[in-house]
Amino acid sequence: MPIPVEALLKKKEHFERGPHDRRSEDFHHELFELEEQGEWIVQRAPEPIVPVNTKFGNVKKVPKAHLWHHKSCGQCGHIPGYSTSIFWVMRKLGYDYTDPRDQTSCTAWNYYASATSNAAAQAAVAIRNFATAYESGFFPLIHCGTSYGHYKEVREELLKHPELRAQVREIMGKLNKPMVMPEEIVHYSEWFYALKDEIAAKQVRDFSGIAATVHPACHYYKLVEGDAIYDADVYGGQRTAIVTGVAEALGAEVRNYSTWFDCCGFGFRHILVQRDFTRSFATLRKIERMKEEADPDVVLTHDTGCVTTLDKSQFAAMAHGRNVGVPVMSEAQFAALAMGAHPYKVCQLHWHSADYRPLLEKMGIDWEAAWAEFQQDLKRLEAGEKQYLTWDDVG
Amino acid sequence: MSETIAVIGGGPAGLEAARGLAELGGSVVLIEKENFLGGTPIRENYAALTPHLESAEVAMGRMIDAVREQPGVEVLLEHTVTACAGDAPEFRLTVSGPGGEREIECGGIIVATGFEHFDPGRETQMYGYYEHPDVLALQDLEAMLKEHNVVRPSTGLPPERICFVQCVGSRDRQIGNEYCSKVCCGVASKEAIEVRQQLPDCKVFIFYIDMRMYGYWENQIYWPAQEEYHVQYVKGIITEVLKKGDKLLVRGEDTTMGRPMEVPMDMVILSVGMEPSAGTRSMSRILGIEPNKYGFIEVLNPPLDTVSTSRRGIWACGASLGPADLEDCASSGAAAAMKALAFVRRKTVAVG
Amino acid sequence: MTMTNDRSAFYKNRQVAGYADVPFEEKQRLIDLVKADMRFPDYLYGCYECGICVAACPSARFYDFSPRRIAQAAARDDTELMYQQMQEDVWECSQCFSCVRCPRGNNPGGIITVLREVAVNAGLASAREALEGYSRIIYKIMSTGTQVSPDMLQPDAFPDWGPEVKDVSDNLDMWRRALPPETLHTTSTGWDVDEKTLLELYLIWFHTGALDMIAEVDEGLHMILQEVMEERLEDAGVEV
Repeated sequence: MPIPVEALLKKKEHFERGPHDRRSEDFHHELFELEEQGEWIVQRAPEPIVPVNTKFGNVKKVPKAHLWHHKSCGQCGHIPGYSTSIFWVMRKLGYDYTDPRDQTSCTAWNYYASATSNAAAQAAVAIRNFATAYESGFFPLIHCGTSYGHYKEVREELLKHPELRAQVREIMGKLNKPMVMPEEIVHYSEWFYALKDEIAAKQVRDFSGIAATVHPACHYYKLVEGDAIYDADVYGGQRTAIVTGVAEALGAEVRNYSTWFDCCGFGFRHILVQRDFTRSFATLRKIERMKEEADPDVVLTHDTGCVTTLDKSQFAAMAHGRNVGVPVMSEAQFAALAMGAHPYKVCQLHWHSADYRPLLEKMGIDWEAAWAEFQQDLKRLEAGEKQYLTWDDVG
Repeated sequence: MSETIAVIGGGPAGLEAARGLAELGGSVVLIEKENFLGGTPIRENYAALTPHLESAEVAMGRMIDAVREQPGVEVLLEHTVTACAGDAPEFRLTVSGPGGEREIECGGIIVATGFEHFDPGRETQMYGYYEHPDVLALQDLEAMLKEHNVVRPSTGLPPERICFVQCVGSRDRQIGNEYCSKVCCGVASKEAIEVRQQLPDCKVFIFYIDMRMYGYWENQIYWPAQEEYHVQYVKGIITEVLKKGDKLLVRGEDTTMGRPMEVPMDMVILSVGMEPSAGTRSMSRILGIEPNKYGFIEVLNPPLDTVSTSRRGIWACGASLGPADLEDCASSGAAAAMKALAFVRRKTVAVG
Repeated sequence: MTMTNDRSAFYKNRQVAGYADVPFEEKQRLIDLVKADMRFPDYLYGCYECGICVAACPSARFYDFSPRRIAQAAARDDTELMYQQMQEDVWECSQCFSCVRCPRGNNPGGIITVLREVAVNAGLASAREALEGYSRIIYKIMSTGTQVSPDMLQPDAFPDWGPEVKDVSDNLDMWRRALPPETLHTTSTGWDVDEKTLLELYLIWFHTGALDMIAEVDEGLHMILQEVMEERLEDAGVEV
């Protein structure tokens, strides 16, 4: 009896992870055990919660509200429209949060770039931030992909090594801070994924004509790979679902390309002092491949370093006649635009390098008029009418 | 007390055990969940067996006929074991089948419930089995080879470039299958030879970590694959398979040349390893015999006793014990039969 | 033929792994520090030499760099080669951790992190050289609590990033005031960080020995930092 190709294809339609997958062991058991032994306080994720699936089948709790925004150096410093969009969307959905001044950088960029630090310093920085969030009563939401991946690493090291916990405890003692681990380490893109339907419900701009390629951040899904969102409805559960899930919920067409799993080339140290590496990688392996194979209107990603690398590397490459020239932004800015956000007052696209104007036109946004409005606001600031642009000003 | 021995599973190992028992004058009940005998080679439509390339259907047919010819064997197709009561030598197995439930009294039990192929969706590397129609597993290609119809599922046309990726689901600390599945290097090389025979214009590659060619396989399969059929072996395993245009791009390192490589293929065949079958897992539970940490049946005194389980009166054979080739199945099936028969006839049974 | 105890002809040629001028004991001392690191056993098991890590590695495509050779050298206990890698290869890694898909569970990027830390702590010239031009980031993080700030976007620092960099630096103050989030109106820091927070960060680095590492990378920077921060600590009434 012939075996039709159809039978083989049918067999491959649907993947289900069986119950015997050893990697479904859940780190939460140890987390809570250590709390019972008095080693630390586990800050519980506050209700209301959206449960989401992670790679090996464990459920992760993503809180909707009462969030402590753990900000990103690169976002706030160089692409502030990214952070602004995260706040703006959260406000539009009506969820309370705090934007702390008592927050340090996670210092992971420095750590991965220069190694002028050590496991104890990195863990102490993490715990200090977590303790501060706990004391404020708000639950940490991590903005940067590197911070997120690094904190997951730190959590693993702390779970595994009692001597490290002891070292950090001593330092927290000197700072008069409790030892705290959050029940979950939540990345902002997980919050966007968890709330994608609520975001889509508030969509006012039509994205059905927009084609996007997605670049997932290495530090989001390659570090501690079990703790990353996977969804059977997105890539059949075989690739991480963040960003793509949001883009698709907004009606955009997400297109594939052959270097999806490749690093963007950020390199931590390289992007600051050896950018020929970063630029080569970003353009030759990512942007050019995306353009050749998918021809997207926009490149979406969810990490500070990736946005910076993919956006800023294109200018010099253009001078060499390479096939580049596609705007890059976070899915936060993309979602904000879908919800009617001002491209300059909220998404702050004037801080970006690759030309985003054709994209805005496709979205039905009159960017010239928008720029003029923004210029008006700047004039008001210059004239001393007000000190700062506020949330009320940006709509 | 019954001297009947229940053999659970009608694949290569179970068939050898059943036939051996019956030839020695024993009384056997052979319980098989499918509606055919022959086990995985028949269920998964294997084309030819490694290493001699004899047709699987013909070879298994011989084993099945040999069992059927024996007067002392009762074959229960479409039956599964649902409960076990009592202790050796007085077990009472409850089996369930199309006619309903039935109790079987037996003095000894032989588990021969075999393995199942590793599901590539659980693989650490990004092979895209569930994404790309042209990424298949070893048993998928067997089915095509049997029909002499090796084509790209995406186009229906024969491939020009096909590659095998070894160790999928095996030898991986992260997945937890910290063992070698033993046969995949031989089977992949055999399939490579068959592809070259059926499609002489197709280039065939095998990407590997180590080539495991035990004993005579070295010159029965490995040397001819390279020397007669020009299969290209590359020491450097693949990590990613992505679509580019209408081809698949496979990404690895050519380690002996020391450089990353990215090459286009028409089809990628994943050499998936062995895992305990659902039947092996449930028998371990129902019969109360200890599994090892991978879920295969634990053997009491390896390496010299290959079949005694943690429970007196119960033996296991074939791939229910772990990765096994056909010679292992035949040998351990026979060993289990010998020990089981000796046991029920009240002879002393040496253990290890 | 004389029988002697001179077996120097049989010793591996030191020139192969380089750094013949560095005594073997010194190399061994540094490599022992790497192996004694708490994280090392989590980062290195055995090595199949299969090349999955290289296939996934961005740096392997650009440099003559191989995470496989890092893991192999460590697995083979090859002190000479590991020392050479500590001197020459480790700064090429982009710390993306694509290599953690290793089937043995190795983490070559992690091994490199530890190699780098040992190199920095030992004051190796190659480490200092690799981090030249980078120390401004260290100063930024230690003195402001954020790793980069908007005022770093200067056209002469990032000429290849395009004309927008100049727009930013020309309009910096105004464009920062035009940001709705209240903490983002700063120009010399990423966001507005409390003084107390900054001091806590400094104390963490002080107590964990990370501050001493800065001294190895850039002594001048370390001195300035120490002066500035100790003054601020004094003002806050904190004893160090």
